[in-house]
Amino acid sequence: MTTATATATATAGTTAVATAAPLYVTGAGVVSAAGYGLAPLGELLIEHGELEKSPVGEDAGAYPPRPVRAVHGFDVKAHLGRKGTKYLDRLTSFGLVACKEVLEGAEVSGGRTGVVLATNTGSVSTHSSLLYDTLTLEKPYLVNPGQFPNTVMNSTSGQIAIRNGLRGLNATVAGGQTASLLAFRHARLALGLGRAERLLVGGVEELSAPAAWAWHRTGVLREDAALGEGAAVFTVQQDPAEGALAELLACEVRFTPDPRQYAEGLANAVSRALDRSGVRPGEVSAVSLGAAHHRGLERIEERGVRAALGGELPRAVRVADVLGETYSASGALQLAALLALWQAEPPASPVTALVTSVGRDGNAAALVVRSPR
Amino acid sequence: MADTAGAARPSRRVVITGLGAVSPVGIGADVFAAAVRAGVNGTAPIESFDASAFPRRKAGEVLDFEPADHLKRLDPPRWGRSGLLAAAAARLAVADAGIDEERLDTARAGAVMGTTSGESAVVQVLAEQWIEGGLASIDGELAGQTPASRIANAVSAELRLTGETQTIPTACSASNYALGYAYDLVRSGEAEVMLAGGADAVNRLTHAGFYALGAMAEDVPRPFAADRSGIVTGEGGAVLVLETYEHAAARGARMYAEILGYAANCDAAHMVHPDATSIAAGIRAAHEAAGVEPAQIDYICAHGTGTPTNDSTEVAAAREVFGDRIPPISSIKSMLGHTMGAASGFGAIACCKAFEQDFLPPTANVTEPDPALGEGVDCVPGVGREARLDIVQNHGFAFGGNNVITILGRVS
Repeated sequence: MTTATATATATAGTTAVATAAPLYVTGAGVVSAAGYGLAPLGELLIEHGELEKSPVGEDAGAYPPRPVRAVHGFDVKAHLGRKGTKYLDRLTSFGLVACKEVLEGAEVSGGRTGVVLATNTGSVSTHSSLLYDTLTLEKPYLVNPGQFPNTVMNSTSGQIAIRNGLRGLNATVAGGQTASLLAFRHARLALGLGRAERLLVGGVEELSAPAAWAWHRTGVLREDAALGEGAAVFTVQQDPAEGALAELLACEVRFTPDPRQYAEGLANAVSRALDRSGVRPGEVSAVSLGAAHHRGLERIEERGVRAALGGELPRAVRVADVLGETYSASGALQLAALLALWQAEPPASPVTALVTSVGRDGNAAALVVRSPR
Repeated sequence: MADTAGAARPSRRVVITGLGAVSPVGIGADVFAAAVRAGVNGTAPIESFDASAFPRRKAGEVLDFEPADHLKRLDPPRWGRSGLLAAAAARLAVADAGIDEERLDTARAGAVMGTTSGESAVVQVLAEQWIEGGLASIDGELAGQTPASRIANAVSAELRLTGETQTIPTACSASNYALGYAYDLVRSGEAEVMLAGGADAVNRLTHAGFYALGAMAEDVPRPFAADRSGIVTGEGGAVLVLETYEHAAARGARMYAEILGYAANCDAAHMVHPDATSIAAGIRAAHEAAGVEPAQIDYICAHGTGTPTNDSTEVAAAREVFGDRIPPISSIKSMLGHTMGAASGFGAIACCKAFEQDFLPPTANVTEPDPALGEGVDCVPGVGREARLDIVQNHGFAFGGNNVITILGRVS
């Protein structure tokens, strides 16, 4: 193979990459420490409100000494009724409640509607309690068979499909910090190829003492950084819709094996995302950042965004400041933050914003979002 | 319009040019293929954890896996077993494809990896530390190794890939999902080359859970046999190199198969019980996406777990689509055990080798199919059989009702 052929092939590949047509966000379902829906989140972001810092649940006393932004007073039965909620863990419950909100009043074509949901390890509380059982029981095989299926990472998306009759594509996506943005990218490709007409896309995370200790012991977050939980799920489609909450333009990703080049990796993803969206760097009015409170990554993310935008950081939104660290759900909650702000204070004319994310192994992602027209 | 997520749009052809298998029946695609064809049993007494208190004590482990023998860049102590299995399989796949590593960057290559339980072996050690010394005593470095995303990350870090790096944890259909998504990335022009597959590690919780569900075999898996009693858990890393036909042809690559299409759908009915009508809809959508008719399918690489329910449901679904002329349908899980998120990746590798070496992969440990499955079920009992295959389909079904069917064809 000669260099000439290699170049020709690469060029042919580049031309095949199409400009991103907008996807329309027609609904948002949010469960967070701020409350339910976009409105309380917008209020909290604008007023820089302070939330309770204590954990909830049976293992609340076993958390590490670190602030926590839990969803207080959550009772899945209050949202979904008693039926079928016996074995639901907190993770899946958040996901189901967010989806209920997002589908409220919407007509659903089950066979052409699917789910793309971000995760990292599924439900840490279910997984760790069953692991605890199998390691401590005299008969280690007597783990609860009703709970075991909840340990697989696609359990939440499966339950969402079951409860809402969604028989289309049903994908679960793991990508660490960048998982939610990977989900949007996954959804874009699937919708573009006609694999579904409409997708519920988002991310969900739950808190538990084992998960909190895992964060605490890794030492990757700043000392004062809060841990968070919650879900944000959006209905996304290619067909233009009246009253859409936002338009999603390109979502680009980059993996950077060399830690010294993480910022350049993110800059590359941002530049490509803007390019494919037909947006100039100067047109970006806000950036919703993901690595707030992450030692090292926080500055890498800002440096990467600055590099791609030509030096200046536009208005920065840090949803983790109010909701805490929400890992695989962070990208979805970063998007929710932008939508919430646009609803609370509608821009005079449509504006364009960025959602960015960087991860510890070198994952980087950038999503371009336009406010409603 | 099809009731599932199959898609057929004009686009570029995608071929499979490299295979990497790190499996309970051997490491390397040729060793794997020879063992599969011979019906070798890859299950043995469990070594990775103390199974003495379990009624079933066998699994399909990769007992001779030494990460350092295969990996050039990853420092094994910093990664979990699933990621290491994936990265080693990816190394083998790239070598098998004969693709120059330097070219992977130009081709915007990335990694899409499926899994069921992520870094389960890492999580298991953390749980042991928790029980031993309380949550405050868990190892922070190890806690950082738990995200499932590290499986695809391991592949990209090992091969210095800069393209899309995504782990798809859709349980036991995950490798097929990964193959499908990578195929979509390549055919739509997002990348010229992608690595796709899956990995999982044998672990205590999966072993306990399947036993608790009553889905574990008494001795060996006997898919499609009347006396089948369930699965044996397995592990491994399965990776395939996907690239555009043009890219492969330009570098004179061997092409094992073309991905003709795939479909993914969801039963939306029950978390663990499969649904024949929904699986049949998935098969039809896959055929439509691939532009093939049922009569053209020469072989079905079955999900074939060996549980009474799965196998009868899978045959019933095939019957809905194929009528009384079901193509030969076999399960390589009879040899590997159920390798979970890697399972349909191994299925795809077996299909590629079957094209290359003209054989039908067998269902080992079986002498005849269960009469209750009905007439005309050829599960290729015992050992592989010579046959020339042109178009095959590969099944992956999962908890959560996730079905993914990929259609592979001989490259013409």
